[in-house]
Amino acid sequence: MSINILGTATTRFGELWKISPRALAKEAMINALNASGLKASDIDALFVGNMLSGILGNQANLGSLLVEELGVQVPAFRIEGACASGGLALHNGINSLLAYRYKTVLVLGIEKMTDHNQDEITSALMAAGSDDERMAGATFPGVYALMAQAYMHKYKVTEEDLASVSVKNHYHGSLNTKAQYQSLITINDVMKSARIADPLKLLDCSPISDGAAAVVISSEDNARKIKKPVYIIASEVATDTLSLHDRKSFTSLSSVVNASTKAYKKAGIKPSDIDVAEIHDCFSISEAIATEDLGFSKKGEGAKDITKGKRTLFKGDIICNPSGGLKSCGHPVGATGIKQIVEIAEQLRGEGGMRQVEKAKIGLTHNVGGSGAVAAIHILRI
Amino acid sequence: MTTSPVKLWRRQKDVASLIGKKGEILLWTIIRVPAKSFVDQAPYPVVIVKMQHGGNMIGQLVDWQQKDLIIGKEVISVLRRLRTEGKEDVIYYNIKFRPL
Repeated sequence: MSINILGTATTRFGELWKISPRALAKEAMINALNASGLKASDIDALFVGNMLSGILGNQANLGSLLVEELGVQVPAFRIEGACASGGLALHNGINSLLAYRYKTVLVLGIEKMTDHNQDEITSALMAAGSDDERMAGATFPGVYALMAQAYMHKYKVTEEDLASVSVKNHYHGSLNTKAQYQSLITINDVMKSARIADPLKLLDCSPISDGAAAVVISSEDNARKIKKPVYIIASEVATDTLSLHDRKSFTSLSSVVNASTKAYKKAGIKPSDIDVAEIHDCFSISEAIATEDLGFSKKGEGAKDITKGKRTLFKGDIICNPSGGLKSCGHPVGATGIKQIVEIAEQLRGEGGMRQVEKAKIGLTHNVGGSGAVAAIHILRI
Repeated sequence: MTTSPVKLWRRQKDVASLIGKKGEILLWTIIRVPAKSFVDQAPYPVVIVKMQHGGNMIGQLVDWQQKDLIIGKEVISVLRRLRTEGKEDVIYYNIKFRPL
């Protein structure tokens, strides 16, 4: 499998009160098209990753709404898988190319969250959980807090160890002009921040964000002569139970293990071949567990390896979240999976600017929905 | 949050069979920033309980003190009013857990 990435773009992430969802999506789509050298009329279909537009904005039919912004009338689809909506939209776009149904498609991830207040958003995000979890009064930070407690208890990991994930990602985000938060933070800042769901504190949690990101992809034989082609060499999705309490393990996500195992096999590589990865750090604990499930660290050593700097720019071996990750770059949920692809493509093309990972040849994106009920893994190479 | 009365009625039929079951706390957290309909109960603990009759359940812990928040603590399922409903909503009762 080899899919060509022709163009990529992301908007600034943050509290974008002056920009409508339509305008946000249009900015990402037009910039991705411009980067690819194509026109809207060259696109065979549009795939849109979005979670909350129906719940928060009372707007469905997003495919048609957003294709209208392009001024064309091609087939358009909205794909939803909670915070993995972007990754799932890309997977579906890729499948349409592999099936020879379309030759060139545009994949967009978009979310507009900050128009709404905090408890509305907290409730809306819990739509990704189960009835049992909602009836228990659980929240997403709450569900991940349970995982954090299980992990800390099993592997003797401290709250300070987990805080180092946020500290690293803010350092990376400080080098990204599109990031929501470009400020450095310390372990002490994380420890002193307000408790959200024990043991997780505000600075263990990714923020509420607006943003959009888009990629133009094509089957290789249709690829134009572009200067630095980046290829997607694996796209795999796996699922798990919707509820955390129904799982055998609380310290590993089988959806991530299964999807990444398939992806490594498909790409013909092993975890240590990865130079750079964008990880779904919706909470600090998520990145610690992810680096183990993806095979970067041994079981129980993910958080400790992050503390040691093994995932940090300019000193680590496998650099995680050069964009700043969800924590610092922001987490507009439907856009995240596509933003990760944009970041890795830029890194592989050597366009990472101040946050460039040296000699990056192979990259991975890890996009998770719910508390691990779905995972989308993509592997890219230059 | 408005919930369909039909959905409540359908689910309520299973609730009676779950009252008075014992188990032990596998994991706990304290929710300090809740969803909208739980705002007036916060902060409150949510626990995953390993049930004696098999399987795990997730629920709120009620009538609790700080000393009850330990892994392995024995609890029992009780019927409690779930949350704050709107004026037009059906009042919903659900399973919560109490320390033993």
